[in-house]
Amino acid sequence: MMQARKIGNINKMLFATLLGLIVVFPIYYAFAASFFSIGEFASYPPKLFPSSFSPVHYVRAVTGSPLVRFMVNSLIASGIGTIIRMVVAVLAAFAVAFFEFRGRRLLFFLVLGTMMLPADALIIENFLAVSRMGLVDTYLGIISVYLLGPVQLFMLRQSFKTIPKTYREIASMDGCSDLNFLLKVVLPLSRSIVLTLSLHSFVTIWNTYLWPLLVTNNPNMRTVQVGITMLRYADSLDFGPVFAAITIIILPSVVLFLVLRKRIVAGITSGVIVG
Amino acid sequence: MIRKFGLSTRQLKPYLFMLPALALAYLFSYRPFFKTIANSFSLVNFSGRIIEFVGFENYRNLFADHNFQISFLNTFRFALFFVPINLVFCLVAALLVYRKRRFTAFNETLFILPMAVAMSSAALVFRALFNPTIGVVNYLLGLSIQWFNDPVWAMFTIIVLGVWMAIGLDFLLLLGALRSVPSQLLEAAEMEGAGAVAKFFRIQLPLISPTILFIVSTRLRDSMLLSGPVLVMTEGGPLRSTQTLVYQMYIEGFSGGNYSKGSAISVVVFLLTFLMILLAFRFERRRVFYQ
Repeated sequence: MMQARKIGNINKMLFATLLGLIVVFPIYYAFAASFFSIGEFASYPPKLFPSSFSPVHYVRAVTGSPLVRFMVNSLIASGIGTIIRMVVAVLAAFAVAFFEFRGRRLLFFLVLGTMMLPADALIIENFLAVSRMGLVDTYLGIISVYLLGPVQLFMLRQSFKTIPKTYREIASMDGCSDLNFLLKVVLPLSRSIVLTLSLHSFVTIWNTYLWPLLVTNNPNMRTVQVGITMLRYADSLDFGPVFAAITIIILPSVVLFLVLRKRIVAGITSGVIVG
Repeated sequence: MIRKFGLSTRQLKPYLFMLPALALAYLFSYRPFFKTIANSFSLVNFSGRIIEFVGFENYRNLFADHNFQISFLNTFRFALFFVPINLVFCLVAALLVYRKRRFTAFNETLFILPMAVAMSSAALVFRALFNPTIGVVNYLLGLSIQWFNDPVWAMFTIIVLGVWMAIGLDFLLLLGALRSVPSQLLEAAEMEGAGAVAKFFRIQLPLISPTILFIVSTRLRDSMLLSGPVLVMTEGGPLRSTQTLVYQMYIEGFSGGNYSKGSAISVVVFLLTFLMILLAFRFERRRVFYQ
């Protein structure tokens, strides 16, 4: 009985590993394919393992295409976008969590309500507005529709509410201004959630595709997610540099993911709605 | 006088703090939302300005448009396969690893790793994997399907990519839900001689149903908005077999400059996303079990 169960458990584990390996196969393949030669791409049966680790495609991807420029664009857009988004959300959450004022609930829900209006369905009007403002092919244009993070606002408010009200009373008795209270007390106490939300926001902006595709015509302004789909090489079977570029892009996030795995898992599984 | 002014700035403060958020909500959500509705009932010129009110004419033309009917059906065809396949796969994976044993952490990591890859990179990789002649999928499975040239199978590649991108998050959500099912309940059931199947359907499934509902409703909503993988992998083809609503909206609006029609499609997409959320809540009242 126990024996049978143990074998069952091992089978389960092996089956899980097999499924998991199938799931990560595309990531492995991108990495392996970045070392294939042109001949190896066209060969049948298709290759699964590279025969050499020559960095030639990496060199071509970095020097022969605007990949680095794309990455810098994405870095700037995601960085600035995240900072503005967090400042906007922190200020609003601070008002909602620490002040009593007329229409507080209404205004809070008005901001949260934007979650019901998916950005992808608003692109036509937003594009017309952004181009009227002359923001096509600018960083501000790329980040414009991501500057408001209702999720960030909601999570920050939840976190701010756990800070005892008496802290604020003591601070104001000591002559501490509201802004000082926010910067010196509230933010340091919420450091962990602010960091998590910033990271989440950075990744979200970094990964977006449809909007940056629309608001960038100039190849020099393209973000990495848009730019990578437009890397074209003379020979249609010349996939090497594309896979090298893909590997360059996903490697940092895969590594970051492995390092922060415990935190990410705990963060998501704890927010689960059960019972 | 000064005191009065001082008091009013203090009262104004919270509004000032909320102003940037409210301004952005207006500028990039509510304003375009209402403008899109207005556009959909109007004739709109090339620079996006309304020329005249035309009532339901845009909608009448839209629903009579064969192209739109195809997009509409394709969007639902995607949802019909994507949502259940994704749910079943993630449930199986979560059930396999929710009990902490050796290698659990390793298996967990494998399932959540796709979260680290952005859509456009993933789409490019899948395009190579499904390449009909030199792709790995046909070779490993011993098939010779013309994935991107076959109107029946092209959508399947989009579904596979969709599931792959959704696995990480949904697996984690289900894992968290399964792990928070009280173990005494499961042990008690085992003592009574309940098998794995009975345990799942009688205890685990009812208790994790809120999470399942959340996943189904958000993924139905995502399905209505599908466009990215279509843009990168198939460009709506072959023979429009993968053309979805948002993809068509994008093409009508930006390649065709037909903002009236594009806006009408937008409104249809809005209604569908609302509908999916409402549907989930209706279903919730009847079936979902809360402790």
